[in-house]
Amino acid sequence: MRYKTQKIAYWFFAACMLLFTLQIIYGFIMGFARMGYDGLHEIIPFNTARAVHTNLLVVWMLSGFMGAAYYIIPEESERELWMPKLAVIQLVSLLLVGVTAVIGYHFNYWEGRKFLEIPRELDYLVVINVLTFLLVIFMTIWKGKRKTTTAMVLFFGLLAAALLYLPGMITFKNIVFDSFFRWWVVHLWVEGVWELIMGAMLSFLLIKLTGIDREVIEKWLYVIVGFTFLSGILGTGHHYYYTGAPGYWLMVGGVFSALEPLAFLGMAMYALSMAKKGGRKHPNRIALMWTLGCAVMSFVGAGFLGFAHTLPGVNIWTHGTLVTAMHGHLAFWGAYAMIILAMISYVLPEMTGRSLYKSWMAEWAFWTTNIGMIGMTGAFGVMGIAQVYMERKAGMDFLEVQESLEVHAVGLVLAACLMTAGVILFIRNFIAYGLPVDPTETGGSSGAAGSAAGAFASSKKS
Amino acid sequence: MLTKSAAKAFFLGGTALCAVAFLLLTLDTLAELPKRSHVEDMTDQVVRGHVIWNKNNCMGCHTLMGEGAYYAPELTKVVERRGEPWMDTFLQDPEAFYPGRRKMIKYDIFDNEAVGAEVAAGNRADVIAFFKWVGNIDTNGFPAKPDLVPVGVASNVDPRIMARAPVYFQTVCAGCHSVGGKGGNVGPSLDGVSARFDADYLRKWVSDPQAVKPGTTMPTLGLKGENLDEIVEYLGSL
Ligand code: HEC
Ligand code: HEC
Ligand code: HEM
Ligand code: HEM
Ligand SMILES: [Fe+2]
Repeated sequence: MRYKTQKIAYWFFAACMLLFTLQIIYGFIMGFARMGYDGLHEIIPFNTARAVHTNLLVVWMLSGFMGAAYYIIPEESERELWMPKLAVIQLVSLLLVGVTAVIGYHFNYWEGRKFLEIPRELDYLVVINVLTFLLVIFMTIWKGKRKTTTAMVLFFGLLAAALLYLPGMITFKNIVFDSFFRWWVVHLWVEGVWELIMGAMLSFLLIKLTGIDREVIEKWLYVIVGFTFLSGILGTGHHYYYTGAPGYWLMVGGVFSALEPLAFLGMAMYALSMAKKGGRKHPNRIALMWTLGCAVMSFVGAGFLGFAHTLPGVNIWTHGTLVTAMHGHLAFWGAYAMIILAMISYVLPEMTGRSLYKSWMAEWAFWTTNIGMIGMTGAFGVMGIAQVYMERKAGMDFLEVQESLEVHAVGLVLAACLMTAGVILFIRNFIAYGLPVDPTETGGSSGAAGSAAGAFASSKKS
Repeated sequence: MLTKSAAKAFFLGGTALCAVAFLLLTLDTLAELPKRSHVEDMTDQVVRGHVIWNKNNCMGCHTLMGEGAYYAPELTKVVERRGEPWMDTFLQDPEAFYPGRRKMIKYDIFDNEAVGAEVAAGNRADVIAFFKWVGNIDTNGFPAKPDLVPVGVASNVDPRIMARAPVYFQTVCAGCHSVGGKGGNVGPSLDGVSARFDADYLRKWVSDPQAVKPGTTMPTLGLKGENLDEIVEYLGSL
């Protein structure tokens, strides 16, 4: 870490840890309800738990992206953040809006629009908040010494994410229109502009961790985000098959969304080959594990499991079943949760000047969260496929099918416990690092981590 | 070898091309959606039903056109599947139809006692109208009809017994009771019920089960007049 204001990122990441924990608690409430233990039904019915679970997910990811941007942009632009006070205000207001929304969900204060449950009044506050964030980032880049590709891709990813939030705020009387534009937010985020953000973070981490020449890494970044948009934009059609839109979307959505895994495959190959070429010499091995893990797991969760149900002939049976939940979990985990955890793992030693590189907690956190998540994906997968065959293909009664699946929900919850144990380790490790300190004159933070990483950086000339 | 500026051109060009194609298709879709969703049938009542759907986040448990949560039944064709009278009764007290099973919220807005019979009936009619309208949207064939035929249909089923039942019986009572092997299993099968009870008892029971057996889980359906006569006559024939 070279600039004082980069420390702001720490608090965004701390917010991530807090919101992630809450998200998991609400996940368990649903997991137990699916096992048949719905004792909380009167206070926290399933729809409340679900809205809280998915919205906290989105908020902690946005908080993670913002933290990453506040760390990456000064480093790439070679200057302090512009108006760091705004960044602090922005963090506090983001948390206030998020927490208000989540509390409101317990009192029927929401909109029944999956993933966009935040009530309209709070939407405007979100917009103001994000504009503030973009302003700080933009001014820092504008006044900076250099404008790198990584910084530009990150900025435009964030800007486009903000713009794409707006179609989700139009009110329609007709539910078919409402659903059409809801996907401009949900799909074009996760299978479009968020991939830009992820790609930029990946490229930043690879530059730092492998020491490979920036020009090479950034060239491939363009190719990958090129594939993302080439397939992802028209791939939106895979949500238009059966929701009232015209039949040509079956063709358009089918062909283009089937190409979407290429971008994720590209990401995985790119990360692995760069790490191999770079020889993995950076002492922060854990950060590299998360980075490469992210590239691989996003291909499995988003690319492979997404492809598994994206063709119209398959989707007509799996649409709106637990098969979707299976894919949703591993995709969000592999692509976005892991890239943020990679960023945090990289940033902590840099910021605090402590080199806990060999911590057993960090290593165990990586493996238990991932194995737990794969187990959850498996449980959702078994439930989803059974549901498709029994309910959709054989015409059995919905509730009867669901009740016969309760035993697999036990498996889901057991795997979730494993993954939660990993998350607890990760957070323990996060706390063990302590608070961030100001950077020293020599470049890195004071202490062993700073100088080891500093020496690495200067020897590799990044 | 690919240069960085060529890579950048690939990114910008590809994105622009796809974005334009997407916008053109969007324009066409927006022109088609009113026809495909039959806006001409989208009455105020339907819009009010949509507002109820939206305000209470029913999508947080159910799917509609395959969108939403996977905890409760898919509702696109619910009117076709259940019929209006069944839905009207169900919404008043969802648990009565599925005692001890996965729970839906018992909404005050649908409950005669909580908000008054007229308002509650109006709210129920609104959501039912909304579901009816959704059921007619052209969804390119979703949800598909089951294509694996279950083997081994029970042999003692005589569907004719159900077929000659009054409509109210087929849509509401059959949600909980079976006759001739068809119908629900919340209450006992009504085959041979006339041998167990006489017509007077059945009339009293059906019009107000609580009065006959306080605390029973069979709901009071408020049947009167001709409807009641018809049902009692049918029960007498079983
Ligand atoms: C907490 C989850 C939950 C919420 C919220 C919810 N439902 Fe349900 N709903 C269920 C469950 C579970 C069933 C299955 C039967 C049962 O146990 O009542 C069901 C069944 C139904 C059915 C009957 C479907 C069938 O084919 O049998 C209708 C109609 C229905 N709900 C309408 C609604 C409406 C309208 C709303 C919003 C005002 C709503 N539900 C909100 C859980 C929910
Ligand atoms: C929500 C579910 C439900 C609906 C709808 C319903 N019933 Fe029932 N019914 C029950 C239950 C449960 C019992 C058993 C009550 C008890 O023994 O306390 C029952 C009992 C009965 C009995 C007595 C049967 C016996 O052998 O003891 C008759 C007759 C009957 N119902 C007729 C009807 C008719 C006619 C209708 C339609 C107008 C109807 N029910 C609608 C749930 C229902
Ligand atoms: C990181 C990237 C991705 C994330 C985070 C993600 C997440 C999700 C989520 C949460 C849903 C559920 C949406 C809803 O029903 O409201 C979903 C649906 C879907 N996703 Fe993805 N996804 C990603 C990438 C992909 C890719 C690359 C493909 C295709 C190859 C794909 C195919 C699908 C399909 C077909 C559905 C619709 C399922 C249905 O009909 O119910 N996804 N995705
Ligand atoms: C650790 C314990 C967790 C449990 C028990 C859990 C359980 C659940 C359940 C039961 C649902 C609702 C599915 C339905 O509609 O029936 C759900 C939805 C969802 N969860 Fe989790 N979850 C957990 C963690 C996570 C994590 C870590 C992530 C992200 C990385 C995540 C992302 C999601 C998403 C995106 C959805 C919406 C899926 C869709 O609509 O298809 N969950 N979760
Ligand atoms: Fe998608």
